[in-house]
Amino acid sequence: MIEKFDKGLVEELLGTVLRYGGDFAEIFVEDRYSTEIELRNGNVEQARTGRMFGVGIRGFLRDKAIYAYTNDLSRENLLQVARRVGEALGEVKLKDFVLNFDVAELKNRHVALLKPEQVRKDVKVGYMKRTYEAAKKYSPTIVQVQVRYWDYDQKVLIANSEGVYVTDNRVRTRLMITAVAAKDGQMETGFYGPGAGMGPEFLERIDVEQAGARAARIAVRMVDAEPAPAGRMTVVISNEFGGVIFHEAVGHALEASSVARGMSVFAGKLGQQIAAPCVSAVDDATIPNGWGSANVDDEGTPTQRTLLIENGILKGYLIDKLGSRRMGMPSTGSGRRQDYTFAPTSRMSNTFILPGDYHPEEIIASVEYGLYAKTMGGGSVNPATGEFNFAVNEGYLIEGGRITKPVKGATLIGKGFEVIQNIEMVGNDVARGQGMCGSYSGTIPADVGQPTIKVRDILVGGRNK
Amino acid sequence: MTREFEIFKDKIFALGNERKVDVQIICLAEREFQVRYQNGQQDQYTDAGKFRVQVQVLKDGKLGTSYTETLEDPEKVFMDALENISIVDTEDVEYFYDGSGDYPAILPYDGAFENLSVKQRIGFIEESEKVMRKDERIIGDWAVYGDRKREWRITNSLGLDVSFVSGGGFMYAVAIAKDVSPRSGSEFILGKKPEDIDPVFVGEGAREWAVKLIGSKSVKSGKYRVILLNEVFSDILGMLVSMISAENAHKNMSPLKGKIGEKVASEKLTIKDLPYHPLSISNLPFDTQGVPTREKIIIENGVFKMFLHNLKTAKKDGVEPTGNAYGTAILPINLVVEPGEKTFEQLLKQLGDGIVIINVEGLHSGANPISGNFSLSAKGLRVENGEITHGVEQITISGNFLELLKNIEELGTDVRATMGMASIVTPSVLVSELDIAGAIKE
Repeated sequence: MIEKFDKGLVEELLGTVLRYGGDFAEIFVEDRYSTEIELRNGNVEQARTGRMFGVGIRGFLRDKAIYAYTNDLSRENLLQVARRVGEALGEVKLKDFVLNFDVAELKNRHVALLKPEQVRKDVKVGYMKRTYEAAKKYSPTIVQVQVRYWDYDQKVLIANSEGVYVTDNRVRTRLMITAVAAKDGQMETGFYGPGAGMGPEFLERIDVEQAGARAARIAVRMVDAEPAPAGRMTVVISNEFGGVIFHEAVGHALEASSVARGMSVFAGKLGQQIAAPCVSAVDDATIPNGWGSANVDDEGTPTQRTLLIENGILKGYLIDKLGSRRMGMPSTGSGRRQDYTFAPTSRMSNTFILPGDYHPEEIIASVEYGLYAKTMGGGSVNPATGEFNFAVNEGYLIEGGRITKPVKGATLIGKGFEVIQNIEMVGNDVARGQGMCGSYSGTIPADVGQPTIKVRDILVGGRNK
Repeated sequence: MTREFEIFKDKIFALGNERKVDVQIICLAEREFQVRYQNGQQDQYTDAGKFRVQVQVLKDGKLGTSYTETLEDPEKVFMDALENISIVDTEDVEYFYDGSGDYPAILPYDGAFENLSVKQRIGFIEESEKVMRKDERIIGDWAVYGDRKREWRITNSLGLDVSFVSGGGFMYAVAIAKDVSPRSGSEFILGKKPEDIDPVFVGEGAREWAVKLIGSKSVKSGKYRVILLNEVFSDILGMLVSMISAENAHKNMSPLKGKIGEKVASEKLTIKDLPYHPLSISNLPFDTQGVPTREKIIIENGVFKMFLHNLKTAKKDGVEPTGNAYGTAILPINLVVEPGEKTFEQLLKQLGDGIVIINVEGLHSGANPISGNFSLSAKGLRVENGEITHGVEQITISGNFLELLKNIEELGTDVRATMGMASIVTPSVLVSELDIAGAIKE
């Protein structure tokens, strides 16, 4: 289907936009086949497959952007949509132009050994049932286990009036486990959701039993936990998904969508010390088979590893094409979108704090009284004020340098620009975890990551005794 | 499109007939217009449309689903749905609805916003930005205007064939005020017709909330009397949406399981699900299974009365379907909290000493509808002797949702409609005790 959009048609559409207005035109064609399976209490309850197919057409006039999408693929309609984009831009800048598409072959760094459709659904279900069994038998207090499986095979064609004409194939697979433990009328949940930018071979690469047990462990530990203490204290945040703190507290405020028009607390701070000297961080969309990786971004720009912070000094932002125009800086290959119904904007891919010097045990031993955030939940941020919040899904109290007891219901809040100044120790155990990140251009797969870190003076929201 | 859809539909029905299975088609066509401005400059502009056709196959009570956004290959879509049935092994039995029964008479959306010119639509934004900038302490702003139309059609081999058009417009604005640390305020409005969109209200609201927060401080941790502003209570009621799903109760994922007839909230609290509310832009005469929607009382004077159902859960519990299927989920159409008799000012007086919570964040991670526990980042206004004294920042509110409902002391008259996962209409509420964690040391 995507083949229908040969260079002739693409050229005609881009040309139509520019004939009516603008100084840049772009087309994004998407054909995506997804499978979702849901298992509850050991039985498959839902199985759903589906195909998305549509086209997004975008035009720029200087730093103004107009976006339209459609899935009526008749030539007349596509031309009409292209014309409307051009007309909305208004000013005609390019009267006679010739498009010379650059036909460079793209090297696929994120090979899927198996395509989702090559693996039978009952085989996928087999892995899900093993995951369920492992979670269920973890403890008699586990009353409910939900296992969800999701894969997709997304083919995209991206072309623009600067001569880009590129196709890419993104294959992703994810397993999501929610376990519920109940005791004395109280219910608590545990979640674990590993994923990767590869095909269903992912199910063989990970240990599905261990994944199930991990979700169950969190629920079981938390159902026995006391409410977390409230107030300001030192918090040790575990590695892997703990990196959501950097993602929320800092990452979003480094995106061009906030920075370009001065709506971010980090706007205009390149080269300045914004974090404690022990903090260095990158965004890297080139990691082979990473959950947030791709060969090119959703604007056809090759992806890269972008240094964001080095020894506490702000080194870079995450920039898409529109942001590039507004900021006068090159794109970092960070233009991403959920699907063709969203205009792309600057987004994170795989973002993480780089390793430091300490063993995680040393970090915990250094804390007299505080919270150990072992498993983080999601969070959110207001990039304009830097205020963030996120949930601790599995927490423990640290007393006298030792982990003493589980605590539940903690939320960490603060301001991003303060909290990164307050990082006191960075561990050597860097790891990444998978999440879905929601913002202007929809919800997209993104990795967060970090080694174990120690932060002083975070406000922990909990219950008062 | 329409003719192509009919051909696709006929092919699916014929395939169902051939294979001796029931089939259902849900078609949703959407139009969307949205513009966002930042600091007076256009930031995003989208003008678009799409459709999605979902095909469901029902065989021996097992359901398989497949969707598509191209009508080119009905056979593949049908076979995918049929294949999906082969891995379903739950003992649950699924049903289709035959279209009998009375559908509430609700006027469809008339597409009024589509008649506005782009200039008129952008005019709303320019107006609200102008209003926000009337105060020089405002150093940043952004504003969004949008309208959308959704055309539903659901038809199946049992004879169901219903359609409806919903839609409306909205505006949202955020103002940033200068302070030692920037303060943000926001306001929104929903409307069924262009006259409902009041850009001055939105701009003033965003500006005034931001300005009120200048000089905000945290508070000492402790238990406080609070007013949850209507839109904040609406956010928190998102937890109830999940708890009143019969499906979640069946799966041990609702703390309301087994509590029908029990007192679960303050006796001042009555909550209904209504197919139509004048303030809502998501009124519907049927759910996504084609079942008629109807008025239901969910909590009456604090007593939990019923769960919401789709066809499957209703049969399982031996009750009438309630018209609340929404895809694979069960959702209210309009969850409506009966207002009280006190104005917001009277609520402030009654509060006496406490905090008005004007914003909460982190609901997707900090509110767990299975345990009922929540811990959310919040902003508010400190109230002493019934008067607002200063803004409150850097606090969290924590508790258990059902305990919170029991602690509702009074409800206001200031009803507002919001659109989140479901449409919710509620006034502000006064809560006698809530845990607050603050950054100020004892």
